[in-house]
Amino acid sequence: MPDITLNVNRQAVSKTVEGRTLLVEFIRETLGLTGTHMGCDTSQCGACVVHLDGKPVKSCTVLAAQADGAEVKTIESLAPEGEMNPMQRAFHEHHGLQCGFCTPGMVMTAMALVAENPDPTEAQVRHGLEGNICRCTGYQNIVAAVLDGAKAMRG
Amino acid sequence: MSKVNIGERVRRTEDLRFLTGRGRYIDDINLDDQARAVVVRSPYAHATINAIDTADAAAMDGVLLIVTRDDWQREGFGPIPTKSGIQKMKDGSPLRQSDRHCLAMDRARYVGEPVALVVAETPAQAQAAAELVDVDYDELPAVIDPVAALQPSAPQLWDDIPGNLCLDFELGDREGTEKALAEAAHVVTLDIENNRVTAVPIEPRGCIAAYDAATDRYVLYNASQNVHANRDAFATQVLNLDKDQLDHIAPDVGGGFGAKNSTYPEPPLCLYAAKRLGRPVKWINSRSESFQSDTHGRGQTSRVTLALDADGRFLALRTDTVGAIGAYAWTVGPFTPTGGAARTQGGPYRFPAMYYTSRAVFTNTMCMDPYRGAGRPEATFQTERIIEYAARKLNMDPIELRRKNLMPPEMLPHKTPMGLDVDSGDFPLLFEETMKMAEAAGLTELRAAAEAKGRKFGFAIAPYLECTGGGPKEHASVTFNPDGSVGLAVGTSSTGMGHETSLSQILAAELGIDLDRVRFVQSNTQATPLGGGHGGSRGMEVGGSAVLQAAREIVDLAKPLAAHLLQSETEDLSFEDGRFAAGGGSVSMADVIDASMDADRLPDGMEPGCLDHSSVFERGVISVPNGVHAAAAEVDPETGVVDLAGYWVMDDFGTIINPMLADGQVMGGVAQGIGQAFLENIVYDPDTGQLMTGSLMDYGLPRADDIPNMEIGYYEGQPTAKNPLGVKGAGEAGCVGACPAVVNAVLDALTDFGVTHIDMPLTPQKVWRAIKDGGAHDPEGLMRAVS
Repeated sequence: MPDITLNVNRQAVSKTVEGRTLLVEFIRETLGLTGTHMGCDTSQCGACVVHLDGKPVKSCTVLAAQADGAEVKTIESLAPEGEMNPMQRAFHEHHGLQCGFCTPGMVMTAMALVAENPDPTEAQVRHGLEGNICRCTGYQNIVAAVLDGAKAMRG
Repeated sequence: MSKVNIGERVRRTEDLRFLTGRGRYIDDINLDDQARAVVVRSPYAHATINAIDTADAAAMDGVLLIVTRDDWQREGFGPIPTKSGIQKMKDGSPLRQSDRHCLAMDRARYVGEPVALVVAETPAQAQAAAELVDVDYDELPAVIDPVAALQPSAPQLWDDIPGNLCLDFELGDREGTEKALAEAAHVVTLDIENNRVTAVPIEPRGCIAAYDAATDRYVLYNASQNVHANRDAFATQVLNLDKDQLDHIAPDVGGGFGAKNSTYPEPPLCLYAAKRLGRPVKWINSRSESFQSDTHGRGQTSRVTLALDADGRFLALRTDTVGAIGAYAWTVGPFTPTGGAARTQGGPYRFPAMYYTSRAVFTNTMCMDPYRGAGRPEATFQTERIIEYAARKLNMDPIELRRKNLMPPEMLPHKTPMGLDVDSGDFPLLFEETMKMAEAAGLTELRAAAEAKGRKFGFAIAPYLECTGGGPKEHASVTFNPDGSVGLAVGTSSTGMGHETSLSQILAAELGIDLDRVRFVQSNTQATPLGGGHGGSRGMEVGGSAVLQAAREIVDLAKPLAAHLLQSETEDLSFEDGRFAAGGGSVSMADVIDASMDADRLPDGMEPGCLDHSSVFERGVISVPNGVHAAAAEVDPETGVVDLAGYWVMDDFGTIINPMLADGQVMGGVAQGIGQAFLENIVYDPDTGQLMTGSLMDYGLPRADDIPNMEIGYYEGQPTAKNPLGVKGAGEAGCVGACPAVVNAVLDALTDFGVTHIDMPLTPQKVWRAIKDGGAHDPEGLMRAVS
């Protein structure tokens, strides 16, 4: 069983894991960070998106062992003091969430999208969110939230 | 936070935890010493189960218990009969059903049917052992299509139910309709398939069951949207318990759309296993299992016939439907294709005569239960498709044809030929407002832009009429706490709709207190003695009315105290904007609440806590939300790919509690309708009954670039008098209006090719094929064998 050391939400973590343990299982079950969700078993839904060395990944598609030495950020990292960041506030303001289950993955994808393209068009946002399924909102308010969140983050 | 009003776009209180990863969904809960369960499911659509050998599985590492049909029979656990709102056949005899147990007994009748439950220390151990449960099956012929299931030669699901027929049904004036059809200038007939789909809430189902031997009581945490009804069925029908032995609690639930309403087999299996082991048992469905084992919806084949006079006035509508209900008569499954789809036939149009007949048919598939709309989307689709089809066949303008036949406001209140009590609304006004919205968006320019790209452009408008449903009673309980917080417990179940905000908003607005004082509790059988959960767009209609009623009764309860504080008489008091006033003085409700906890400030005969109050609201007659959808579509004739270029909605939901949340309901509902129209389809192999769309790789859900922006407007000019809030219901209307709007828009775009009908989903392949076939289509091809 591999020993892994990684940085999760700015904290160093060293654990022994089973080789088959998925990163999402490690995050949820070993670390107890249940904000990252599992909505499918075929890497389609995107509820499990986290940042791995700054890039958005579906954490159901990464082995925990592959994250050895990496920096992982989950939804819990965005509002460490309970104060929502501009993207989270934009989702709140635009009613960009309903049941909330896809939301952590959606927000983490949006954060990565905006990091790469700080001033996206609506079409770029819709394209960028293709890997995340929301069944509640019809996406319209999510797209509005991401555009507005991007604007707020540009300052 | 300050005061709130009804009708205000109040931001949601639940958002903070959902946006920061602190939601608490079923898989986020772990109980000490819990074991993990995995269900062994039938790989066959229809098979005799000869024997189940668990020896190898039981010997695996970590395995604690394997539950089979032998346990169920030995314990004498009962089946779950259907609660379908229609229980009698046309001839008055009871609907035909056989026992639906939590595990397959003599035969498995659909792929995914539970055959055993394996419980182990870890999920991986349970999964590994489940694969070693050796079930000796003899495969039997299966039937998947409901029309085929009615054929005399079809495989039979039940020995004691002839012809696979669960329920037949009729409603309306058969003779009058036949007479009108015989005498009409024009009669148009079209067979329509409403494709089988499934809800796919992004959170899969799951539960944790625990048992306390000392008290002989159970607690079930479950991703359910109907904890009271589920509790009653699990306790009294299956496990032979008293209701109060089982506490049923739903934590945050990640979407439901009807599919988390049903009485599923897995929770009772886990409750039983928890008792046997003396340990909590947790079960989480995988997504792929969800496609096999979450209830499905729609799945109806219909022949629709419209009679018109020479001027295009509607004379009669006749619908003959065959609806698949799956292998068992599930929670309310037989109701949807019968009474469910009948009620709103004919939509908001004037029809002198209507007749609806249908058959609910057993098939070797997962079972049907309500999916958002449950019958009303089917009825609206049938009505709007036959109108559009008739316009094309008779060379009439489809917009004018609709305009001419809408019920005028002076016709209301009106009981339709289907018995629906349409009390209020202004259908022509909403129709014209929707047309204005679309025209203001530039239909001419959109058409020019599409044609400049070599695409065909289409536009369609689809009025709808729907109705609420679900449990008629709701309980609201309000407690005033010494710390200043106000507890509100309601028996509804939000699975994302935002009741924590909207129901609290009603209470806070009515009492004139700060919203952030309200602590909302739902979906907990300990917190409310009764509750109707969620379904039938009843959240604000019934739940909101219960909260309003409780709040108004609290104001009455507070009057003696307010009068005491103002040194006046109760009958001299007025209450407005959260303040009691009498003479020149006034006191706020907030002050009265504070005084109600202080024995020194209370008059004789009142005790601290005297304002705590519960109320039960019971709906008399279901309400009738209505509205109009319109869509613009671009079709690429080279590829069959459709892009939606615009979408407009006007809704009459009566009073809107929170327009932001109403928008969310409309947008999400429309997206689900668009999904059904273009992408979603549950497909079983017609011969073997194997599920071909068993994962999100195979079942297409709409993604961010599949759904257009929608422009949404509300008409609040005629709130209903059927409930004290004036609410008509908002939750399902989006997907009631969407399918006909977008499908008719695509068919409008295909006029030049002679294409008059394509069954959903309108995939690029089907659209392209229809174009290539030049509109060749048999309008009576689906129902010929059974009409």
